[in-house]
Amino acid sequence: MEKSASGNSFVLAFFKYAGFVLILYSLIAGLMVPLKPGILQVDPVVIDAGKQSLLTITGYNTSFESKNDLQVFLKLKDGSFIESSNNLVRSANKMEVAFQMPANLPITDKISEAVLLVNSPNDGSMIKPSAVSIRQGLLPLTTAMDGIFIKDPGKLHQHVGWSFPYRLILEETIRNSYYHIPLWFAMIVLFGYSVWASWKYLKSKNPHYDDIAIASTSIGIVLGLLGLATGALWAKHTWGQYWSGDIKQNMTAISLLIYLAYFVLRSSLEDQNKKYSLSAVYNIFAFVAMIPLIFVIPRLTDSLHPGNGGNPAMGGEDLDNSMRMVFYPACIGWIFFTLWLTNLLRRINKLERNKLDY
Amino acid sequence: MHPIFTLLNKEITLEWRQRHALGSMLLYVLATVFIVFSVLKNISPNVWIAIFWIIILFASANATTRSFYQESGARQLFYYQLSHSLNFIFSKLIYNFFLLLIIGLLTWLGFSFFSKPIVKDIPLFFLTIMLGCMAFSTIYTFISAIANKTPNGASMMAILSFPLMIPVLLTLLKLSAQACRLLQDTGYWKDIVILLSIDGMLIGVMIFLFPFIWRD
Repeated sequence: MEKSASGNSFVLAFFKYAGFVLILYSLIAGLMVPLKPGILQVDPVVIDAGKQSLLTITGYNTSFESKNDLQVFLKLKDGSFIESSNNLVRSANKMEVAFQMPANLPITDKISEAVLLVNSPNDGSMIKPSAVSIRQGLLPLTTAMDGIFIKDPGKLHQHVGWSFPYRLILEETIRNSYYHIPLWFAMIVLFGYSVWASWKYLKSKNPHYDDIAIASTSIGIVLGLLGLATGALWAKHTWGQYWSGDIKQNMTAISLLIYLAYFVLRSSLEDQNKKYSLSAVYNIFAFVAMIPLIFVIPRLTDSLHPGNGGNPAMGGEDLDNSMRMVFYPACIGWIFFTLWLTNLLRRINKLERNKLDY
Repeated sequence: MHPIFTLLNKEITLEWRQRHALGSMLLYVLATVFIVFSVLKNISPNVWIAIFWIIILFASANATTRSFYQESGARQLFYYQLSHSLNFIFSKLIYNFFLLLIIGLLTWLGFSFFSKPIVKDIPLFFLTIMLGCMAFSTIYTFISAIANKTPNGASMMAILSFPLMIPVLLTLLKLSAQACRLLQDTGYWKDIVILLSIDGMLIGVMIFLFPFIWRD
């Protein structure tokens, strides 16, 4: 009854090498490709209308020095732009700009937030939303400033070359998308595979399928732990702490508890056939009991993850084409690679079982 | 009479012969409720709901662990020859459901005796207890059938069943909060549908899988 491993050795070799190459590619490309230039900091954050304001702009991955025809704008809420009167470049990542902000703005708010736009031929156009707050009405209207509001900032430059988006808060950790998320996909595939194998075991009573089930849950748990670790590191940077009790973190903790219980159940049983069929039954039952989490998650509205609780889903600028070129290969690579690992572990388990039999 | 009811009758007769077990279980619930309200004075509605369900969770784990244990393997073999496996598991399930319903209602009675009235929507809360007890009894009955086959069944019962309870508990807590008017959610009937479908799914998969445990 036992299926020979050599029958599908070509598929296995394909999974192994394709998975290895894709993961290696995602590691190299994901870590080497630079982020797009962006604006890290603007200081001060509050300026007054009706007087000259000096802003210090700190850039990230920028090259302010290389060319001098930089344009810096502030964009008001009504869509009008004002250009800086003077730019003084200090270093590649630092410059000071002066704004002659007129006392009477085209908007009536006492305090309004403005977007900073830096248009550079080298770095492309960079924006920082809510960069400064402009106060008006504090200074007399008589102080004349010669800044004028325009409707169109002119041609915006594009950054050329392969680079990942620069996002506030995320910053360099955006690269974790290529490691954290594919681990989850691979884990779900493996757990699904183990449920399928458990079902086949109950149907056929062939120990071959129990080997698959135990191998894929083992690898799945390792992936789950890795996913938790990468997620915790990411959460430390973006949410401020390793564990926030987020619903997805809780869900993972629950599913890991279930699969650890699965291993406890197995180890407590001596009789082989009893062990195989009971653990297969528990595996299927646990999987069905886990399904409510999929319905419960969207109903428990507050989650910090993208796509839950009013957060925008993955996509848009969080996953643009430059990232898709790494993200999808990474997903496929991890799934292939872990399926190959599962098969390897299954063969080891089979050898161990045969050793026990004789 | 249908075999399920004959087996159910047998369950009740067995339980009645061991009245001390039933009595100790009810005493367990009352003592826990009394301890909770002696320790926590001026309990807030959120804590009220959480403790309510935790007491039911643990009390029903105690109550249902016995459902397969009190009968030896030889007697189970006897039942196996007499009746279909599904009759057997359904009689256990129905019996456990009513047992847990008694525990749930008794806990509610104790809670409402000791605290200010917190439950605003009594029919909804009653429905929540019904649905919760159905899900609990399904999971516990099935897991105790598995745990019964292992050497240290009582601790295995807790290890295997508690992780599976969490999704149900989350939904129950939300629905209870709705019954206590802690949430303003107009779509709470969706949670009822979710709980109903959880119950249906668990019973369905139990029907499917129990013959595989039974055969060994």
